[in-house]
Formats: sequence, C-alpha cells, structure tokens
Amino acid sequence: MADIVSIMACSHTPVMLNFPDAVPQPEREEIFGHFHRLGQAIAAAKPQALVVVCDDHVHNFFLNNLPAFCIGAAPTYKSPVEHWLKADKRVLPGDAQLGAYLLNAVMASGFDPALSMELTLDHGVLTPLVLAHVSGQLPIVPILVNCVQPPLPSMKRCFDFGVALGDAIRAYPGLDRITILASGGLSHDLSTPRMGMVNDEFDREFLRCLEAGDSTEAIRFASQHVHEAGNGAEEVRMWLMAFGAARAAPFQTHFYRAVPSWYTGIGLGEWRR
Amino acid sequence: MSNWLQGMPTAEAYEMNKVLFELHHRPDDLEAFRVNPDQYLNRFSLTDPVRRAILGNDVAALYLAGANPYLLRAHCIGMKIPEAVSVGALKRLAGEH
Repeated sequence: MADIVSIMACSHTPVMLNFPDAVPQPEREEIFGHFHRLGQAIAAAKPQALVVVCDDHVHNFFLNNLPAFCIGAAPTYKSPVEHWLKADKRVLPGDAQLGAYLLNAVMASGFDPALSMELTLDHGVLTPLVLAHVSGQLPIVPILVNCVQPPLPSMKRCFDFGVALGDAIRAYPGLDRITILASGGLSHDLSTPRMGMVNDEFDREFLRCLEAGDSTEAIRFASQHVHEAGNGAEEVRMWLMAFGAARAAPFQTHFYRAVPSWYTGIGLGEWRR
Repeated sequence: MSNWLQGMPTAEAYEMNKVLFELHHRPDDLEAFRVNPDQYLNRFSLTDPVRRAILGNDVAALYLAGANPYLLRAHCIGMKIPEAVSVGALKRLAGEH
C-alpha cells in the first residue's frame, strides 16, 4: 500500500522558459524561487515516483484522435516535444508499472482513460519539473487531461477521476511513497482577442474554494465561471483532479499573483495531509 | 461569452489545424514550408482564404477561421512571429467588435 506523501499544484506556461525577461528580475526570481521551493518540498517527502497530472497541448494528440484522459505507461519519456521551447532535450524516467497499474485500477472504478506507451511530453509537464529542479530526479507517470479542444470532460468528472486516482494510488502494492503534481492554469487566454487577460478574481475565488476544502463549490464555480477566465483556465481541471485525489482536503496556497506579462495567473500550493 | 470560437471545429478548420500541427511535428515539414510554402500547402485541401492566411501569417484571420488556440500559439512562437504582431493582431479584433 502506497502513501501519498504530497499533492501539489502549480501553474505552467512556456513563456516562463521562452520569455523569462518579460517579467522584471525581482518578480521573476520571486516566482522561480517558489517553484524551487516546491521542488525542495517534493524531494523532502522522499517519493519513489511522481504522478504528473497535466494536459497535452495538441502535440501527442490531434483532432483525429483526442482522448479525454490518457495515462502513460512507458519506462521513459522524451521531452520537450516543442521544437521552439527553450529547454534542453532530455529523456525523463518513467514508471511503466505504476502507469499500467493506475490504468487498470481506474478502469475497474468505471473510468476509461486511453493507454499510451509512448509520449513526448510538452512544456506542461517539463516546465514545472525544470523550474522545481526535479527534472529526471524521479520516475514519472503522466496523466493527461483534455483541456485544449472541446468537447472537454466536465469539471465534476475530473474531480471524480481524481478521487479514483487517489484511491488507486493508496492501494498500490508496488511502492511505499508517491507524490502527485498537478500542472496547469490558472486564468489565462491564448490566441484570442482576450489574450493577455488574467482574471485575478476568478483565480482567488477558485483558490478559496480549494482552501475551504469545498469540492461542491469548487466544481460549481469552475464550471460556471471558466469562460470568464480564458481558454487556458480550462486547465483548472488538473487542480480539481488533484483535489479529488486529496479527498477534498484543504488546499494551502503558497503563492498567487496575476502575471499579465506572462499572460497567466501564477499559483502554487499543496493539499494539507 | 465562451472560451471557444468553435465548440466543434468545422471541416475547413480541421484541415487548417492539420497544417499548423504537421508543420511543427513532422521532422521535415517546417523546412519544406520555408523552401516553398505554396508547394507545401498543396499537400492539404485548403480554401483560398485559409491558404492566404497561413502564407501571410495573418494571425487574426487564422483565429477567425477556427484555429485551435494552442496550435495557433505554437505556430506563432515556432514561426518567430513577434509577440507584438501576433498578440496585437488579435487584440485589434476585440476593438472591432
């Protein structure tokens, strides 16, 4: 039986790597410092594997075949897939056994994720790992959620998937210590006339729901207001999945700030155990 | 208000998105496009307006034709379209509506 030793969440954006200078140095260092501390907290809990919940930004999946959920079960993952991302090409270690186990376990709970035995992971997974200084340090299991092209899985479905995921991890006989990292959001908008908009009010209210441990309200609020927070805010699905895995324990926000120069509401934190 | 211009991509948008996808994922496509963009685009069934929008890096037109936001964003960065140009073109649309 595995112990979920920590459950964390953070925003991601490729501009943190591609255009770091868009944000003045003191603010950039403050934000990168929070990512680094997130990585130190991950390492301090001594997990044997890291389950990374993220979205694929139309790299591994295209409109010809687009799963709502996908679990990776590969021994290694190349990254990044983007030829334009300012990050060294690398091969991340994977935990194929844990990935295969999670697929079977959540299938038995009534969910139907796709299987992938080969993914080239994008900035969504890689950026937090790089900024947290944990890239390559731990075998990962990527769990990909469609937040990028409607029809999207409902907010409630993502929370419920997270509950099943958490239960499955706790029942895993293969390891003792596992961490979950959700990567995505918060408010942002890409490639529309609203690009650059960050909805500070949406982000703070969503975080408040998580901090209160109120899953009903978090799901309701995200479902009803996501369109006010931009197409990138659809990525709060990852936060809801981690919230489910945490059995709706109260969230502790380590940092939040609307950072329009990076087009994104940047948040980091973890669920109290 | 919706985050999505097209809840379901049109067939025209699908073909345009296919260009944006293949350009940045198939190993030789970006080079082939740079060498002869017209010839490269002949591989796809594009309408004339979409073809012109791709050739002219017309970010606003690509958006209006239903480009997936992530494919369009990746295309802008991958083609090194300056941020002021790509984001500016989109923001000008907001002013028009």
